[in-house]
Amino acid sequence: MTRSAPEHAGDRLSALLDGELSPAEEAGVQAHLVDCMACRHEMETVGVARLWLRALPPVDPPFGLYERMLVPYRPRRRRVAMAFVGAAAAVAAVLVSVAPARQPPVSPSVATLIEAHATSGAEGDPLTNLAPAGVPVSLPR
Amino acid sequence: MTDENVPTWEEVARDHGRFLYTVAFRLTGNDDDAQDLVQEVLLRVRKGLATYRPGSLEGWLSRITTNTFLDDVRRRRRRPVDPLPENPDWVLPPTEAADEALAGAALPDDVHSALRRLPPDYRAAVVLCDVVGLPYQEIASALDVPVGTVRSRIHRGRAMLREALG
Repeated sequence: MTRSAPEHAGDRLSALLDGELSPAEEAGVQAHLVDCMACRHEMETVGVARLWLRALPPVDPPFGLYERMLVPYRPRRRRVAMAFVGAAAAVAAVLVSVAPARQPPVSPSVATLIEAHATSGAEGDPLTNLAPAGVPVSLPR
Repeated sequence: MTDENVPTWEEVARDHGRFLYTVAFRLTGNDDDAQDLVQEVLLRVRKGLATYRPGSLEGWLSRITTNTFLDDVRRRRRRPVDPLPENPDWVLPPTEAADEALAGAALPDDVHSALRRLPPDYRAAVVLCDVVGLPYQEIASALDVPVGTVRSRIHRGRAMLREALG
């Protein structure tokens, strides 16, 4: 039973599974395994445990764990961020104030549309006939 | 600290937060202690107590985490109040876990609770090997023990874990 090797493989079995043996050591353990049922059984035992351990999933840290730790050390960054937000707001305000002037005048005027709608009569189904065909308008794309 | 190669703790938290928490959780076995451990590790990173070695950042982080964990364990061990658990259910006959084992699968929760019952030195070796995936040589250097000791702890740790799960 111990023809190939005089002693059991012991922790070399885990090393074999982990690819941590030299080729010579590995050959020795493999040869021993052929003859030694106890070592084959032990290898299966630790091999299963190894697979279970390696199958353990990553664990998400509790929400806010790092944020709580980081907060006291960010005052400078926050100030810079706030300055940036302020600048962005100023730019946005300028854009908004300029934007209306750039819009082309609506044609025909809204008043004309309202008048056309009012004079088109109330006959017909109000749901399907809210705006009668033939309203003199072409909507810009 | 001014060395560009040394990551700031903010970078560590942002890019490796999940990894760090996972290692801490597997080492300590519970959320409260894992959070404390993470905090202590980041403190060490921030203070520059840990010397960063070029190479895998996660390997470096695991080294700090494991050492911090083992330091804590040893500090506590000196106090007689909190002896390390010779857990009573360690010897209880396995029930459902045995069926799972026969079916070739174990629930992660069961594996986790078996892992947390391993003696800390064994747990550290097993976590570095099977959770982090470090080679024996790196584990030996992280734990400051010979490679032969690492090999023996990993093997024994796995055998104990397998035994605990029936």
